[in-house]
Amino acid sequence: MFGVDSSRNAEMDAFWRVEGGDYVCALIAEPAGKLCVAGLGDGTILGLNPRDGAVLFRHKAHVGSVLSLSLSADGSAFASSGQDAKAKLWSAGGSLLAELPGADSAWVEHIAWSPRGERISTAAGRRVRTFGKDGTLISQSDPLESSVTGLAWRADGTALSAICYGGVHIFPFKDGLNKRHLPFKGSLISLAWSPDAKVIACGSQDCSIHFWRLASGQDSQMTGYPFKPKQLAWDDESRLLATSGHADITVWDFRGKGPEGSQPLQLSAHKGLCTSLSFSHRKGMLASGSQDTSILIWQPRSRLNPVRVAFLETEVTALQWCDDDRLVLGADSSGRIVAWKV
Amino acid sequence: MEKIPVTVLTGFLGSGKTTLLNRILTENHGKRIAVIENEFGEIGIDQALVINAEEEVFEMNNGCICCTVRGDLIRILGNLMKRRDKFDHILVETTGMADPGPVAQTFFVDDDMKDLFKLDGIITLIDAKHLHLHIDDTAECKGQIAFADVIVLNKTDLVTPAELEAVERRVTGINKMAKVLRATNANVAIDAVLDVGGFDLDRALTTKPDFLEPEYPFEWAGTFDLKSQSLSLDLGDGPDPTMDIVIRSLSGTSDAHDESNAVGALRSWSHEATEVSPGATVAVPDGPMTLLLPGSGRRKFDLKLAGAGRVGIYTQHMPSEFEMRFESAGAVLDPLAEHEFTAGHTHDEQVTSVGIHLDGELDEERVNRWINKILREQGTDIFRMKGILNIKGKNNRFVFQGVHMLFDASEDRAWGKAPRTNDIVFIGRKLDRDALNEGFKACLA
Repeated sequence: MFGVDSSRNAEMDAFWRVEGGDYVCALIAEPAGKLCVAGLGDGTILGLNPRDGAVLFRHKAHVGSVLSLSLSADGSAFASSGQDAKAKLWSAGGSLLAELPGADSAWVEHIAWSPRGERISTAAGRRVRTFGKDGTLISQSDPLESSVTGLAWRADGTALSAICYGGVHIFPFKDGLNKRHLPFKGSLISLAWSPDAKVIACGSQDCSIHFWRLASGQDSQMTGYPFKPKQLAWDDESRLLATSGHADITVWDFRGKGPEGSQPLQLSAHKGLCTSLSFSHRKGMLASGSQDTSILIWQPRSRLNPVRVAFLETEVTALQWCDDDRLVLGADSSGRIVAWKV
Repeated sequence: MEKIPVTVLTGFLGSGKTTLLNRILTENHGKRIAVIENEFGEIGIDQALVINAEEEVFEMNNGCICCTVRGDLIRILGNLMKRRDKFDHILVETTGMADPGPVAQTFFVDDDMKDLFKLDGIITLIDAKHLHLHIDDTAECKGQIAFADVIVLNKTDLVTPAELEAVERRVTGINKMAKVLRATNANVAIDAVLDVGGFDLDRALTTKPDFLEPEYPFEWAGTFDLKSQSLSLDLGDGPDPTMDIVIRSLSGTSDAHDESNAVGALRSWSHEATEVSPGATVAVPDGPMTLLLPGSGRRKFDLKLAGAGRVGIYTQHMPSEFEMRFESAGAVLDPLAEHEFTAGHTHDEQVTSVGIHLDGELDEERVNRWINKILREQGTDIFRMKGILNIKGKNNRFVFQGVHMLFDASEDRAWGKAPRTNDIVFIGRKLDRDALNEGFKACLA
């Protein structure tokens, strides 16, 4: 089934399972396994212990859906944002630390904690705002060309990228760096900045993927996706970029001169559109989830068939690696959150 | 999963969109409605979710007009579906100057939107009193009328019955397919604007049997017997500062509105018009005359015909709109017969409707090829297209609707006892009725 080699014990048994109660819109997990938080369609944030599934806290954090969650670097806090135009900071134990000021009436669609923990950025409407970890406003962008559709920090936290219709904006947070704009005539809908900081990859509404090599400014476009590539994930080596946009997962290899002019890897096994992609923190294991409820684990650096499989009840909406890559957490549109040992 | 219907409300500022929105939201219909608003209105309703968003029209990299979509809707509606309690209906209010194309296209082009939602209807509100201020100067205004499934002629209390007639004729001259509702304070029945099923060509056909009549550039034809060569026309103030007219001699027994005479008048109409000022005496030309109506009050035009006898007089507007009188040999003449024609492109040669009725069975392959060719070549000029087709070998009606180059087609219910026939309607710019007619006929099996 699903092309998985059946000689191995391929189907993963659920390690624990929790009913969240509403659509899981966002899921974050502390890499070492201290905390996992799900943000739900009814505005609830649900804190779980990844090692046993115990509920640590459950709060109504927002009116309307939770739109985004982001974990602080040390795992001691996390941030949430929602349709109520609010963004909030919480302790790992679930107590409210601060409410971020300044988002007018627009949904706060994205929130991103900088990789070293000193700043938190939000995207609401056409503006990007950045706050200190105590919640004070540090900077606010001019309105961009359209509503911001994604945020990603540079791995060292010295710059923040934001996408919208019209291209990528890069805001520096270090003296000597300049603002940049990588123009693109079209609507960008997904964003991933490679861990080595060299490449910004975006998915576009017109069913293509764009890479910008930041050193040269060179822009490449990969077309031919049947659906919008909403999911992008880099492996830890910045070598493989996994992209959705089909039941198949298209993986671009950035070794050498690639991927321009090369054939991407096609990981074919899902029966429905791929809806989630997440690389493990080490060793390049890829977890993928689909509309068809399946979750597959791949080792794309060495093989094209999935190595493990698991199922949720409805469309998979989020996946995270956790507990030093020993666990994969998955969530679905009916509100179920499940952990599997890989 | 059942797709969620989306109603789009368009109309210029002041046409009553917010009033209608408030009426829909306060009515006790038991629906959970989400409203996406792009203008700051005064909506204060608890039972519905009202989201304010800026209209973001996204043109795609490939520059194709039909790929122009509303990015804000894709984002917001996508997010609204991520919850257990789904909405029953979505209302999208556009800004006054919005082109409805991208809104409508969003539900055809975007994969997510296509899967989750269906465009139920485009409702266009019109301020009956002020329409004339926008309609000739703004493409958006005609676009909003052309795209509509339902047109609410609002503020009818502010105009006279004759003005209202004129406005309605103007509107139906652009879009013959839409259901037109008259209203004051946007007081239309909610079920006339929600769940209208954008697709309902049947309704258009039953509510307007003249819908598929050929279009003439005149609204009225009268038959007269003249005892002398002279004819005077006496006009008061009307909705326009000019009125076009064709006068033709007819054979003794026929009427002006008989098809062959009407077609003859149509041909005359294509000649260059002669401008005629009041007061002067002029010989009636072969082509149309443009009667100039400067200032106000009554104006008289004295005309000389080639001879006495039966004539047909064809007028661009209804004579009643100008309190028009016909006089000959000092006496007021009443027509022996008169006929009103469906308003064609009398005012507006830019945006029109072409409806074609065709009996017989169509060859599926040929229809496909024909429609694809039309959309490829004229898609940018075609705003809406709808059809119910009788395809050879199929028991079910084949129905389709389109927005610009995009269309949805599917088999509908069985024909049953209904007469198997074909109806197709185009609304757009620069439509060539004859070519469309020929093309459609060529699809017969």
